Amino acid sequence: MAFRVGTELVSALMVGVGVGWLLDRWLGTKPWLLIVFFFLGAAAGVFNVYRAINGMSMTPGFRKDDGRAETKKDGSDADGKFP
Amino acid sequence: MAGPIEQFEIKPIVALEFGALDLSFTNSAFFMVASVAIVTLLITLSMRGHMLVPNRMQSISELMYEFVANMVKENVGQEGRPYFPFVFTLFMFILFGNMLGMIPYSFTFTSHIIVTFGLAAMVFIGVTVLGFAKHGTHFFSLFVPEGAPKVLLPLIILIEVISYLSRPVSLSIRLFANMMAGHTMLKVFAGFTVAMGVFGVAPLAINVALTGFEFLVAFLQAYVFALLTCLYINDAIHLH
Repeated sequence: MAFRVGTELVSALMVGVGVGWLLDRWLGTKPWLLIVFFFLGAAAGVFNVYRAINGMSMTPGFRKDDGRAETKKDGSDADGKFP
Repeated sequence: MAGPIEQFEIKPIVALEFGALDLSFTNSAFFMVASVAIVTLLITLSMRGHMLVPNRMQSISELMYEFVANMVKENVGQEGRPYFPFVFTLFMFILFGNMLGMIPYSFTFTSHIIVTFGLAAMVFIGVTVLGFAKHGTHFFSLFVPEGAPKVLLPLIILIEVISYLSRPVSLSIRLFANMMAGHTMLKVFAGFTVAMGVFGVAPLAINVALTGFEFLVAFLQAYVFALLTCLYINDAIHLH
């Protein structure tokens, strides 16, 4: 779990910095977008960790998954096999 | 004595070069083919009998099938059935890649980030296409959390997009880093064993424990990869 949280944090930061760097190169606004996206990436990383800890399946969107619980109730056979 | 990183070296077995393109059949490719071949043989040969009361080999196949089937069912639901073959293939490929890497003198292809990133990118692109196919442009509502203040929306949407884009990165880094770190650690402690002479018994004992731990990690990381694939498919199908 600890390792999972670590990768979530770091990977979002990496993507943020990567997007910022690429946009900087494209728009010629060095280094401002890199700095902005560094913080956005850090925020996304913290979001990801928050969701991972709360069991929200690490997805965008804040709600807990209702869909999963619903589909389990209807129709599926009891022994856990696909018919 | 071999360095701890040398085990990850890619060596061509059959050299194939077309101009600037290097398409050699490497040791990494060999173990990928071996993984696919072993899984295919195991499943097809063990299910040949179709016995009502399964023998040992058939039990292995059924156990693995049901393990993944339950995982898909619990995390995606009945709508997840069309995607079961994909998740099962992915799980078995990674599991056998990890397990083959535990054989001494073999090569762990999942310890290379380009391999895991290729797998993760396939999952990511597939899930995104699936989401658009199912929901059209409504899929973008994934990036707009409910109940967020209107003023903050531009900021939050940006953060959510970054969070979404970080999925393949975290998925690939998790698998690759676990496999590489574990195998490097085994090699480092093996090096201590050689260097310390009689006192090498201590790192040897650690290595025995670590080998057992590595088997756990090999299974667990394949499981986590397949599980997260299920969760991503679930998100694409059941949009909030």
